[in-house]
Amino acid sequence: MANCRSTVVALCLIFVASVQPAQAAADNSDPIVVKDPHFGEVLFYFYQNDYFPAIVRLLAAQEQSQLSQHTEQAELLLGGMYLSYGHHLEAADIFERLLADKVAPEIRDRTWFFLAKIWKQRGYLDKSQQALANLSDALPENLRREAQMLQAQIYIDSAQYDRAIAMLRDWEGKTEWASYAKFNLGVALARNGQLDAASEILDELGGIDPFNDELTSLRDRANLALGYSLLQDGKPLPAKRVLQRVRLEGPFSNKALLGVGWADAEVENFSRALVPWMELRSRDLLDSAVQESMLAIPYALAKLDSVSQAADHYVDAIEAFYEESNRIDRTIGFIESGEIFNQFLVDDPLDSTGWYWRLEDLPQGPEARYLYHLLATDEFQEGLKNYRDLNYLSKNLQDWRQNVDVFANMLETRIEAYAERLPRVEDALSRADVDGMVDRKLELDSLLNEIERSNDWLALASESEIEMWGEISGLENTPALIADIPEAAEVRDKISLLKGVLQWQLEADFNDRLWRLRRSVRQTGEALVDTQRLRRQIDDTMRSEPLRFENLSDRVYGLEPRIDGMQLRVAGAMAEQREFLQSIAVGELRAQKQRLDIYTVQARFALAAIYDLAATEAEVSP
Amino acid sequence: MVTKRFLISFAASLVLAFGATTIAQEQASTDVDADSREKFRSLDENVQDLKKEVLDLNRDLFLLEEELLFPANSQVAFFISMDVGEYFELDSVSLKIDGKEVSNYLYTEREVGALVRGGVHRLHMANLKTGDHELVAVFTGGGPHSRDYRRGATLMFNKGIGAKYLELEITDRVKKQQPEFVIKEWE
Repeated sequence: MANCRSTVVALCLIFVASVQPAQAAADNSDPIVVKDPHFGEVLFYFYQNDYFPAIVRLLAAQEQSQLSQHTEQAELLLGGMYLSYGHHLEAADIFERLLADKVAPEIRDRTWFFLAKIWKQRGYLDKSQQALANLSDALPENLRREAQMLQAQIYIDSAQYDRAIAMLRDWEGKTEWASYAKFNLGVALARNGQLDAASEILDELGGIDPFNDELTSLRDRANLALGYSLLQDGKPLPAKRVLQRVRLEGPFSNKALLGVGWADAEVENFSRALVPWMELRSRDLLDSAVQESMLAIPYALAKLDSVSQAADHYVDAIEAFYEESNRIDRTIGFIESGEIFNQFLVDDPLDSTGWYWRLEDLPQGPEARYLYHLLATDEFQEGLKNYRDLNYLSKNLQDWRQNVDVFANMLETRIEAYAERLPRVEDALSRADVDGMVDRKLELDSLLNEIERSNDWLALASESEIEMWGEISGLENTPALIADIPEAAEVRDKISLLKGVLQWQLEADFNDRLWRLRRSVRQTGEALVDTQRLRRQIDDTMRSEPLRFENLSDRVYGLEPRIDGMQLRVAGAMAEQREFLQSIAVGELRAQKQRLDIYTVQARFALAAIYDLAATEAEVSP
Repeated sequence: MVTKRFLISFAASLVLAFGATTIAQEQASTDVDADSREKFRSLDENVQDLKKEVLDLNRDLFLLEEELLFPANSQVAFFISMDVGEYFELDSVSLKIDGKEVSNYLYTEREVGALVRGGVHRLHMANLKTGDHELVAVFTGGGPHSRDYRRGATLMFNKGIGAKYLELEITDRVKKQQPEFVIKEWE
């Protein structure tokens, strides 16, 4: 049985968890033997990742006690499906109840690990921490590393830097996890104020030889962070060396190019600084590094005494910032209208629900470019996931709401049909004298007993035989046959023979006839028992049906307010969720706009300074 | 004139950006401040409550619909299942009850996959009077050697008082390398 439990949980985890396919394949769980068809029906939807209908069917089957052969399995499957559907708190309740000692340690650990991961994603740091505390040492190596990293990250997020540092410093192994551990160690050290130690770590990480995209990206981030840290410390040359290790094409290249330029500018080599900054001009203005380069270029030109060119560049920058700022305003308006969130859902088929759904592409439009990086954040993605789930609930309620009238019609039709049939049934019942029939059956039993006792073979003769017997008896008493003549004697003999033959036949068939009659009466008796039973059922139904209709009416007519209430709450939750997402998106855009505003002020100030200088020079040399 | 203050402010913003940590194979995440996290959690808990309530409502509605459409006394449910399915690739199943076609269901690839893995599909629900009835099921699909395959199975069954469940099971007959269609009655 423990194996069965493990199988169910393992099955759920394969679907729920973002495990690698190889890991899933390695789960050599035994197939589940379906012993209740309703459990198989739940699996039918579960295997198609249609968690919502699967959960509904499972709950319905549990309510009707249709899963007696799979009681615990069903409960664990429900937990797994809740997890898949994103109903993590309910899932945890089930696992806490059932996982304790009833499944294989590895499966138990995997379940706690995935719960910890989901809770971390959702910001439930305390719960994530509790789930990690439930782990024994049965996780496979790769998941164990990930769990440790999760733990370290929780420490960092909850400002327990010393604990994070202690944990990450002792990281063993040379896998990519070690690199991630090193990076997070650098972060923890930096946040803990140990900047020198953090720099040392980042320098080490910035020199690794990466073997995949993630590590290359990690190396770029380390070099970028270290480079800017060195620049801040007034060490431009080492900073430049570090920043040049960042790839030229990549998510961090713009910032690296800007930094390289500033490193050159720091040592007064402005013409060299212009090289990376000019490169940035052709890149997307959305990037803050590109925006800053638009100010850095005229700054360098001015330093190189190309004041007129510098002024032109400041003017260009002010115009570009103005346009960009206007575009941001329009996008903020669009987001605040809520329309963008409807667009998120337009192409969503809603035919399945799943924890690992992520919005990969934003709806087409000018605003999309401002929001792309939001997609990478847990907060925005998890918020969108909730918004999408709420939308699913809303549609579900809407569909059911339309069915309420259908249910009411169905019920009314049944009540009417019942009311229509009832008088006919009552009439038929009043005419059917079942008790009288039973009495007659009992009389027949007595009569047959008497016939048997008295061996009354004539009583079992058929109508024609009785007629024949009567005719023969009649002939026997014919006066003409009394005469003592040979013809009369011959006829008397013949009559006597006929009578004897008939009597002999009736006597010979007596037992058989009696048996047949008894069988027929017995069958009649059985039919009467069935009739009595049916009669009782009809009486019961006639008594219970009005109550049943009453119960169904209560349920059907109670639906409308229940669904309406829920629709209101779901709509309210959707509005709140939308507001939350809007606040993230708009907050991000406002920060971008604010930065542009600052840059614009700086550019205007710089331009004014140039004009002042030019005016002063003109005054000095008329 | 623009000064190096930009550099300082920009570098500071980068340090903030790098405050966000990452774990393997995951996208970098930005910092979420405690207020925002609290707000998210409160919304999420509300969503969790709503999910539970809507699921409970769906369960009640599912049962109510079934009770209205198929009262227990006359209810008969027909299920389809597959065991292995190596010699038969299911396309469709049609059902006749007492000579009348009541269902003709075309399976999607996803559904067949779910059946092969052990799922059981409730193909049809009916209301039948008590007494004897005849069920004829016709399975079509791809048989051994990718040939079109069409087979029927018949069952006489008795409908008593109370719900009845019949399962039409497609199994592999290894000896003959042929599929076999079995109808069984659940208690």
